Amino acid sequence: MASEHIARGYDEELRKLNNTVAEMGGLAESQLGTAIQAVMTRDTELAAHVVEGDVKVDQLERELDNLAIRLLALRQPVARDLREIFSALKIGSDLERIGDYAANVAKRSIALSQSPAVRPVYALPRMANLAQLLIKDVLDSYVQRDADKAYSVWKRDAELDEMYSSLFRELLTYMMEDPRSIGSCTHLLFMAKNIERIGDHATNIAENLYYLVNGMPLEEARPKGDTSSVEVMMPDRAPQ
Amino acid sequence: MNVYARRRIVNGAVMTLSVAATAFGVLWLVLVLWTLLENGVAAITPALFSQMTPPPGSAGGLLNAIFGSAVMTLVGTLIGTPTGILAGTFLAEYSRGSRFGEVVRFINDILLSAPSIIIGLFVYELMVVPMGHFSAWAGAVALAIIVIPVVVRTTEDMLNLVPNSLREAASALGSPKWKVIVMVSYRAAIQGMVTGVMLAVARIAGETAPLLFTALNNQFWSADLNAPMANLPVVIFQFAMSPYADWQTLAWGGALLITITVLILNIGARAIASWSTFKQ
Amino acid sequence: MSPATARQAMPISSPDSRRTEAQPAPRQKVLIRNVDFYYGAFKALKNITMPLHDRRVTAFIGPSGCGKSTLLRVLNRIYELYPGQRATGEVMVDNENILSPGLDLNLLRARIGMVFQKPTPFPMSIYDNIAFGVRLYESLPRHELDERVESALRRAALWEEVKDKLHQSGLSLSGGQQQRLCIARAVAVQPEILLLDEPASALDPISTQRIEELIAELRPDYCIAIVTHNMQQAARTSDYTAFMYLGELIEFDETERIFTRPKQKHTEDYITGRFG
Repeated sequence: MASEHIARGYDEELRKLNNTVAEMGGLAESQLGTAIQAVMTRDTELAAHVVEGDVKVDQLERELDNLAIRLLALRQPVARDLREIFSALKIGSDLERIGDYAANVAKRSIALSQSPAVRPVYALPRMANLAQLLIKDVLDSYVQRDADKAYSVWKRDAELDEMYSSLFRELLTYMMEDPRSIGSCTHLLFMAKNIERIGDHATNIAENLYYLVNGMPLEEARPKGDTSSVEVMMPDRAPQ
Repeated sequence: MNVYARRRIVNGAVMTLSVAATAFGVLWLVLVLWTLLENGVAAITPALFSQMTPPPGSAGGLLNAIFGSAVMTLVGTLIGTPTGILAGTFLAEYSRGSRFGEVVRFINDILLSAPSIIIGLFVYELMVVPMGHFSAWAGAVALAIIVIPVVVRTTEDMLNLVPNSLREAASALGSPKWKVIVMVSYRAAIQGMVTGVMLAVARIAGETAPLLFTALNNQFWSADLNAPMANLPVVIFQFAMSPYADWQTLAWGGALLITITVLILNIGARAIASWSTFKQ
Repeated sequence: MSPATARQAMPISSPDSRRTEAQPAPRQKVLIRNVDFYYGAFKALKNITMPLHDRRVTAFIGPSGCGKSTLLRVLNRIYELYPGQRATGEVMVDNENILSPGLDLNLLRARIGMVFQKPTPFPMSIYDNIAFGVRLYESLPRHELDERVESALRRAALWEEVKDKLHQSGLSLSGGQQQRLCIARAVAVQPEILLLDEPASALDPISTQRIEELIAELRPDYCIAIVTHNMQQAARTSDYTAFMYLGELIEFDETERIFTRPKQKHTEDYITGRFG
């Protein structure tokens, strides 16, 4: 870590900022894990628990905002200090969205568990695990201020996007074959989309960290593996 | 002719005038010193410092005169300096801006430029007449009266140079006023004050008129402060105007001695002043 | 009660208690009540009423001529050195009005220390500078005096730099060191309240930051009031801020509130630089 400010209070306030981000990130990651667990075990109580837990994530984001505002008003940060606070604000916002998506997954699982089980549900944990890994790795890279690690997270989101695209096709096929499953599959579709969005937010965090460390934004275009928006599905025909 | 060229000419002319004026002034100084040296160096012998003033026609020295001048200068300084310092302190520390202070300062300035013969006359009336005889005490008192306004002036000026922030800092610690003055103001101004005293001493070293009325002169050795005492300025006065060659030589020697003393005091004062600015 | 005994009961807290950590509820140490101040016929302070909290830093900000330094100088009655300057109203320090006429000013100033804008080391050794104030009211044996001098210099973060040259003149130090010497001199007499009048404005940025960090370290043990023309310094160092303008107190509040959502538009205009 770089050397300390002459004003030690300043360092302590920045540390507190970092800790709040880390706490939020850990919470968001565990929310996702618990949500998937609720889906797979069809445990509605656990799901309700996750939904309630999102309040804590929102509260942490407000704390983060207040800390950041206070630092900006009272410390007049410049250079790297300014990027730290700016990045923390944006990352907090991304983490709050991740928490929301995890809670959405949990909420939908309540409805899902009251419908008949469908086979594609087994693809969900794989997606969720990858998403969790992305969150964990990007938070590690934040704590360590490691831009290279962030860059690798940024690239691995393509894999999550591909998983989503294939699940999308699978669900559509399933729904076309068996219209009774449309209810469950639709829920699953939304859940999968939520998880895919979680991955996108993780890449946002990675981009913010890259900017924090290097002072310049990541110039490359993010590789997008999500082709679902341009998929054309026709009955009786294989997908184009 | 353009402005620039005209300016250069004016500049050159004024420069030349200044240098010429300086040279003119310095020239006379150099001439005086040279004359003193030329005429006085012959008298600088060991005898000058070991023998008394002689009667006309015999050889002798200036010991009693040197002793007398030294004693009266010392006593005069001892009387005048504390008085002057305390008065100067009063003006600088206690009466800033007050009417009374302005009056005191005004009177001090008058005293500073008062003709020394008047001071001599005053002390004559004050001390010599009631006592019935001339004395070294009277001479010392007359010299003290000359010292006082000089020391008052320099003390007040030096103390005024001490920044107020220093006094405030000492007061802010809870220091009573006299301690602020003694431990802070005096210490800050000490070099200037010492310089002032040295200049006062240099001034009285050569004063003749007051001593004429008070200490008069003494042909013989005397260490009695209650009696007339020999002193260099009056001896020079007496010997220089006489027709005797021995006496005239001794007079030049005395004049040279006084000049050297005054020079040393002035140069010393300057050295102290520059050493203090160097130290800071 | 002598200033020394007043301090003995209070423990010196660690410098790690910062503004961001949980604080005990602040106690009012000083209450300025309806204070007016006159330079001759000119009314420089108009009906000022505000508190100063113990173990906190209160900053006075405002444009030039607003009266912030004047107000600070009322608190230790240093204006009494000059004829024609007078204050009316009350200043209650621990429920005792220090503006009352019969008060011993020297004892007051030993309880309320002041550091000025321009560093003013006395023309004596570093040791004597620190010992000057102590010797005024206490006669300590030599080794106790040595300890007092050392602890004062340590508090001012100057000990390591001068411990081998305590007998050199105070004037031989650099500007930042001289100012820290003045701060050490002020804390050596163990005052209850510290008044700092633009303590860093004559110093370079790094020395300024050192002084600010020093203030943060002194904070747990003193009630500190600081006048500064640098708003950012007030934001960085203080817990409470008072904004003054043309002799009046416009707003007084917690610093974080003043610099994020001030109540008065006047205050907001000043701190955002919308008027000089």
